[in-house]
Amino acid sequence: MDGGTALARIVTTGERSFEREISKLLLSDGEEFHGEGILAVTKALLQSGVSYVGGYPGAPMSHLIDVLADASEEILKPMGIHYEQSASEAGAAALLSASINYPIRGAVTWKSVVGTNVASDALSNLASTGVVGGSLIILGDDYGEGSSIMQERTYTFAMKSSIPLIDPRYNLAKMVELTERSFEISEVSQMPVFFNMRIRACHLTGKFTAKDNKVPTYNANTPYPEQIYDVNRIVLPPASYAHEKAKFEDRLPAAQEYARKHKVNELFPGKAGSRFGIITQGGTYTVMQRALRRLGSADAYGNTDVPVLCLNLVYPLIPDEIEEFLQDKDSILVIEEGNPNFIESQIAEIAQRKGIPVRIHGKDMLPMAGEYTSNIVREGVAKYLAAETQGEMKDTAIAAEAAIQNELAAAQSHISAPMPPRAPSFCTGCPERPIMAALKLLMKERGKFHISMDIGCNLFGSLPPFNVGNTVLGYGLSLASGGAVGPNLGQTRVAVMGDGGFWHNGFSTGVVNAKWNEYDSVLIILDNGYAAATGQHRLPSTGTTPKGTPSLVTIESALRGVGVDWIKYVDSYSLEESKKVIGDALDARDKGLRVIISNNECMLARQRRERPEKANALKEGRTVLKEKFGVDEEVCTGDHSCMRLNGCPSLTLKETSDPLKETPVAHVDEGCFACGHCGEVAHAAQLCPSFYKAEAVQNPGSIRRMMSGLNRSLLSMMGGY
Amino acid sequence: MSADRPICVLIGALGGQGGGVLADWLVEAAEHAGYPAQATSTPGVAQRTGATTYYYELFPEKNPPGDPVFTLFPATGDLDIMAALEPTEAGRAVERGFVTATTTVITGLERVYSTAEKMPAGDGRIETDPMMDMLENVSKDLIRLNVKELSDGTASRINAVMFGAIVGSGILPLTEDDGKAAIRQSGVAVESNLAGFDLGVQAAKSGGSAPLTQEGKVYQEAPADFADAINAYPGTVREIIGHGVAQLIDYQDAAYARLYLDRVSEVAAIDSDASHRLTFEAAKRIAKWMSFEDVVRVAQLKTRPGRLARIRGELGVGDDLPLKLTDYFKPGRDEFAGILPPALGWLVPNTKKLARGNGMALHIPTGSAFGFLLLKILAAMKPLRRKSAQYLEEQEALTAWMGAIKKAAAADYDLSCRTAELSILARGYGNVRREGLEKLAGLFANWENRLGSEIDKLSAEVDQLILLAQANPDAPQAH
Repeated sequence: MDGGTALARIVTTGERSFEREISKLLLSDGEEFHGEGILAVTKALLQSGVSYVGGYPGAPMSHLIDVLADASEEILKPMGIHYEQSASEAGAAALLSASINYPIRGAVTWKSVVGTNVASDALSNLASTGVVGGSLIILGDDYGEGSSIMQERTYTFAMKSSIPLIDPRYNLAKMVELTERSFEISEVSQMPVFFNMRIRACHLTGKFTAKDNKVPTYNANTPYPEQIYDVNRIVLPPASYAHEKAKFEDRLPAAQEYARKHKVNELFPGKAGSRFGIITQGGTYTVMQRALRRLGSADAYGNTDVPVLCLNLVYPLIPDEIEEFLQDKDSILVIEEGNPNFIESQIAEIAQRKGIPVRIHGKDMLPMAGEYTSNIVREGVAKYLAAETQGEMKDTAIAAEAAIQNELAAAQSHISAPMPPRAPSFCTGCPERPIMAALKLLMKERGKFHISMDIGCNLFGSLPPFNVGNTVLGYGLSLASGGAVGPNLGQTRVAVMGDGGFWHNGFSTGVVNAKWNEYDSVLIILDNGYAAATGQHRLPSTGTTPKGTPSLVTIESALRGVGVDWIKYVDSYSLEESKKVIGDALDARDKGLRVIISNNECMLARQRRERPEKANALKEGRTVLKEKFGVDEEVCTGDHSCMRLNGCPSLTLKETSDPLKETPVAHVDEGCFACGHCGEVAHAAQLCPSFYKAEAVQNPGSIRRMMSGLNRSLLSMMGGY
Repeated sequence: MSADRPICVLIGALGGQGGGVLADWLVEAAEHAGYPAQATSTPGVAQRTGATTYYYELFPEKNPPGDPVFTLFPATGDLDIMAALEPTEAGRAVERGFVTATTTVITGLERVYSTAEKMPAGDGRIETDPMMDMLENVSKDLIRLNVKELSDGTASRINAVMFGAIVGSGILPLTEDDGKAAIRQSGVAVESNLAGFDLGVQAAKSGGSAPLTQEGKVYQEAPADFADAINAYPGTVREIIGHGVAQLIDYQDAAYARLYLDRVSEVAAIDSDASHRLTFEAAKRIAKWMSFEDVVRVAQLKTRPGRLARIRGELGVGDDLPLKLTDYFKPGRDEFAGILPPALGWLVPNTKKLARGNGMALHIPTGSAFGFLLLKILAAMKPLRRKSAQYLEEQEALTAWMGAIKKAAAADYDLSCRTAELSILARGYGNVRREGLEKLAGLFANWENRLGSEIDKLSAEVDQLILLAQANPDAPQAH
């Protein structure tokens, strides 16, 4: 059976509608662009004359991928720009190989640090051979609030592969200018360039003056005339030794020279003769500025007495530039988000080598780890101003910070009880919820077992109310990560994986590995048709290509191709069936790898598709069901056992007026899509009979209407109405 | 005079509430008015029902002499408006140090309960009144938005009402025209959003909605011929006893209600405390226990007059459309045998399918004449109930519990009240109820002796049982 995952599905749009946004990519010289940061950078790519773009979606970069996919027919194709949504970040990074031999510009994008991890193999090779065409890697840095990944720095990758790293000051015009400059840096240094954007920068709104889009000299419509062979561009000795030397003798120095000449880093000199100053990353510039303003040292426009060096190119540093800044200072503060404090250490090294007696503050005044938010940075800057400045500036900063702390303490003194935590969870009607309920129920029956989870929405199963899922090791790695768990716990390996994870890495690293190593294992694939967690992106098994044309790559054919025989489909919404099939799979320990494909479409996608269809049908007078679950308040026992197997946002609590009831009763709010899980749970766990499903037939046919009338009179006779 | 700082707004929302659209409107409105502004957000995975924030800054000067510096994060003492689409998100902003005496809090009043609040078997919700008091005490001003009441009959969503309230509060230099232009510009559900916007503007101008009042309990009244018996009780317990009588007449008959009164009087007779707490607790809990839910009761509730009309209302459809209604039952051996006299229990086959924890999954089409009739027939078995196995079992357990209350009252009044509260264990259906009743039977087996020899230990055990019955039984164990 097929829950609607393949060709039957019509994919029209991604998570948001981009039509209005696409028109912004066509603005011409002198027109004003208004929009989000990530769209501005996309426009800058077109202004820079790229010949190809690609990437793998993931917040906060998803938007760029969506916009490009939507623009591929109308904008990219006429310009001869090749676009692909790569199957993984490694694939996206490998695209850049087109710029190794040929003078064509390209850009790829993904979420960092996780995507950069996946792309590392290609990146290391690319950074070794170097490029002739400008190559840009736009990184969506998911660090801090709202992040769904481990917290690490991308800086490490720049250092280890000698890839210049741009961390732009967050102002749309600046971001666009730096995007364009990055291609030039790439070409003069023959290195790919990282362009790092924090999550809030991607979603930042603003404006800039557009330029015309530039059709690249060589593109899919006017191809480069010949292939180029150059053995020195192959990463093999002795070329690889030469590459390593070239990085430090030619390439990075060229990047430094270009950046110095074009003032990529910005010096705000402050008051002449100041013997203190701040060096900040571009990305923390506005936060630092706000700190200075709050502490009485800057105005609303960023005019300040404090000398500031804003590093938009954070790797490599430019020693001369740093030396000049340090030269007349007694002390400086380095504002560097994340750890280790690479920038601060390098500055200290420069000062030490040049013999400049300057006190370098940084992580001694600001926290080692965590996002540099306004409060955090202001506290650090206040410490610095208090310790290293004199007179009015010092006194004002101390007084201002004390006043803020007093205001905070006064406010916090009113807090009595903590607010309830609100972790992310499955959406209303999500087809992945019933599987987690099935696993929870199975554990109640059979005892608890270890489950290896994957990246994606499925990971929410590890959170309340399900709490199933013990580990997560990376995208597509759940099955492989159970390798040594099963034998050492004396249990079958159990892994959950989304369809996104399956195609990203799960097939080769998980399935093939399990087959080859003869795993006793159960793999549950949640096939909802999209990489739902990134914002409903198409996958090889969605039924369409990234551009929306039909294609038919199925999970099952991939599995069969490597000899997996035990494959069972289960309707995600059938809890009893899911429980039974998983139970059967657990018991079939002599069958090697058993795969369960739980298949039903992502409810967000389905609603987005069905809502307009239904509205149309209703308008045209066709029969449409209006359905919803409900709870009979009088029957509800109020012990909330249904909630502990459900977690649906639309199944909630309601105050009851019944004096005999002490707890709030269950209630299904108007957000319900009637997915059926409430009824399934009531049956599977033998809960109270308070749930009902109501379906009204809108625009009924005449026979239906007549039968209904008859039914109604009978019900009236029995006291139903 | 030139402006010296941007006006800062933090929006706290849950995924799906439309916080992003609200931020977009604010940006459009500023553009329409000609003020520099910036918004940013961290949607990420938070869009899936988690808490999320949007942050907005507007520089209150048109054509300023330079580019004002906007930043990415809210900060203590620098936040002018906290706009919460759900009240605990305003509370969270207080916890995070963003809301202080310089912040105006505008908050929707309707709670969206978190999973953590839904999971306990008792009432896991945080208390609303202290939270609202906190918001009022912390902030410069608190504007409440009772969206349900405000939008009565219109399709307005909270984000549009909030947008109106932000503009209506007058803290930003935006006019109503700017706001409306932004909504028109976005082009989505323009009419209902404009309506919501207007409601929000008006609400903010009139100081916001009134605080929510707690919904009270609704007591049914007993028939007149019970008046004398009920009036013999102290004033503070008459309401609950009247309710109990009415409920049990509905459940069974007048004779059953008189049995209830007899039982309450047994407890009242030993209630020496002026508070009559024990009588109140017992009256409430005996009524609840005596109306235990068996198949007959469920069938009665599911065929109540007015139920079908109520469900139509919930679905938002009139009387003219065909309505299909499915009720989910899964009776097992216990439920089937329960409605038969004990001597006839053998009639129910002893199959695995009907074993405890299992059962027969039934989808009853209560909206059809056939399904309704089926349940009506079951409900009509009411007169036979007092002969049924489950009835006899429940009465026995109830009598044991009442005995324990009375014995405890002689030793320790407070303990007797808490013993009454133990009836919480006699709840639910199937396994849940069975396990609860077994726990009670175990506790009461040696009750009298323990009252004499180890009353403190017993008392602690009672507390523990009540606490456990209200906790989240699935909470993971810490390692």
